[in-house]
Amino acid sequence: MSEHLRIENLSVEFDGFKAVDNLNLSVDKGELRCLIGPNGAGKTTTLDLICGKTRSSKGSIQYRGREIANEPEYLIARAGIGRKFQVPSVFRQLTVRENLEVAYCRHVGVFANVVRSGHSPESDGLEKLADFVGLSGYLDEPAEHLSHGQTQWLEIALLLAQDSELILLDEPTAGMTHQETRKTAEICNRLKGKHTIIVVEHDMGFVREIGEVISVMHQGTVLAEGTVEEISRDERVKEVYLGSVGIDDA
Amino acid sequence: MFEIFRNMTASRRQTLVQVLTYMLFCAAILIFPLFLDNDFLLNRYARYLVLGMVTMALSLSWGYAGILNLGQALSFGLGSYAMAMALKLRTVPVHTGAGGLPDFMVWNNVEKLPWFWEPFYSLGLAILAGIFVPVILAVVLGWFMFRGRITGVFVAIITLANLVVVNLLIIDQQRFTGGFNGITDLAQLEFFGFEFDAYSKSTYYLVAISLSLCLFGALALTKSKAGLILQAIRDHEERVRFFGYDVAVYQIMAMSVSAAIAGIAGMLYTVVMEFASPTFLSVPLSLSIVVWCAVGGRQSLLGATIGAIVVAGMQGALSESEAFLDTWMLIMGAIFVLVVLFLPNGLAGLIDMLARKAFGRGRHRKSDGPASDIIPTETAKSP
Repeated sequence: MSEHLRIENLSVEFDGFKAVDNLNLSVDKGELRCLIGPNGAGKTTTLDLICGKTRSSKGSIQYRGREIANEPEYLIARAGIGRKFQVPSVFRQLTVRENLEVAYCRHVGVFANVVRSGHSPESDGLEKLADFVGLSGYLDEPAEHLSHGQTQWLEIALLLAQDSELILLDEPTAGMTHQETRKTAEICNRLKGKHTIIVVEHDMGFVREIGEVISVMHQGTVLAEGTVEEISRDERVKEVYLGSVGIDDA
Repeated sequence: MFEIFRNMTASRRQTLVQVLTYMLFCAAILIFPLFLDNDFLLNRYARYLVLGMVTMALSLSWGYAGILNLGQALSFGLGSYAMAMALKLRTVPVHTGAGGLPDFMVWNNVEKLPWFWEPFYSLGLAILAGIFVPVILAVVLGWFMFRGRITGVFVAIITLANLVVVNLLIIDQQRFTGGFNGITDLAQLEFFGFEFDAYSKSTYYLVAISLSLCLFGALALTKSKAGLILQAIRDHEERVRFFGYDVAVYQIMAMSVSAAIAGIAGMLYTVVMEFASPTFLSVPLSLSIVVWCAVGGRQSLLGATIGAIVVAGMQGALSESEAFLDTWMLIMGAIFVLVVLFLPNGLAGLIDMLARKAFGRGRHRKSDGPASDIIPTETAKSP
């Protein structure tokens, strides 16, 4: 498999605090990579740096061989990187259908979109997508009427509609029931291979279900990398994150 | 017919109802002169329609794209001056100097027509200027603001300051702009053999048709994908960027379309009022537009239009009646406070709410998807 995303010596500083410090990370095409680590390890900041939300102080991020560090967000998104945020962020005043229409972004130019109808001919596919995440009964409902869990699902549907090559998921299962977590894991496994996915997650059960390679972050840098078994045997990982109880009980 | 209506998805049904309502409004303003044979009153109603038009333009940028442009009167005033300059050059010179120089220039000892007045000999160029000068200003201002990711109240402050600057400039350059007095004593607008006397049906129709066209043009824009993206930007600007849309370009587009409509409204205002004055791009007028928009419902183009017509009409009626001569400002203020407190979406929001109650359907009704049997909904019980 070829290298899809390569991060080299990436650093960012907030008023002297190094949130990410000389981070090196390489993700192959079609891989599903989990990022775990204690609070404040810099996992979310790493995702922010990749998608352009935060500007880095130094280092490089190469996506398909193209340098994307510090490019504007919309160009990074157009290059094929999609992001799900930790706090569900959907368009609350728009209906579920309209949310999906916005996310379905094959054409991004302003002049093309002035003459294009707000209801695309692809809306059949979007309805199937809503059906898939269990929101088909809410297509014409404003997103603000959805529950927290449904909002999470809507955001996952937005990502599927966007159909990015590289998907960044920040705690996708937060606030989900056990069953829903299973379903999210199932979706991740289905996307794997066709899409490259980076997941930040705390739920170890979820990580075990989907994870092939896990990168453990600590103090802004990668501490260890390997399979679930390798990670759970690693003494340093136990020390900083998992405690003496080990990964199986976390 | 009713069967088709029932089989449509809720969003399409809503669009259809909306288009029919807009058509009804346009038909109403177009047949209105058949029932009113009073040129003085027609002139006054034409004026209200123009104010409705500029308010509708604000609803496009404020209600749909979330850009609170407190300098809406700037585009309006520039349009009005463009038309006034063209009509001034067409007057039969009464107090003119050499070569038909406008009267106020003669009084200010200007000897030659300034270069930027020259293009206004052509009515076509003047109309283009009335549209594109506001648009270009909006693009330049929008470029600086939205590239710099300025949002919310700062946009309001910058646009307001911009309006004040241009307003002072026009007052200050009396030699070229007529200063405080504005540009008065204008010729009548004439094109394609039509003569538009301010106190006649023809001017009223010119205004009503322009308003109808702009209303439907703006409606089409809000129904396009770009319109959808603008609403998404209003909701969650940051998130839109991560879908690959260049947010600034969309915001600039919204602001310049709004400026173009305001410019057209400004030109019509000069035709209706028969003069242009710095009060057309003053802060009080600009803030009034915002208030009308809020009262009518900023998220509805038609609501904003009607809001302006109704409130400006009430202002006119109250300020002229003997009983309210001293208190009309208080009454208007009370109405604004009540609307802001109880009708956050203005009159349009009120009508929307009443329609939903009356028919038990509307935009918040859940669609009859396959899952509606499984997912309990509160509307599932209603007939």
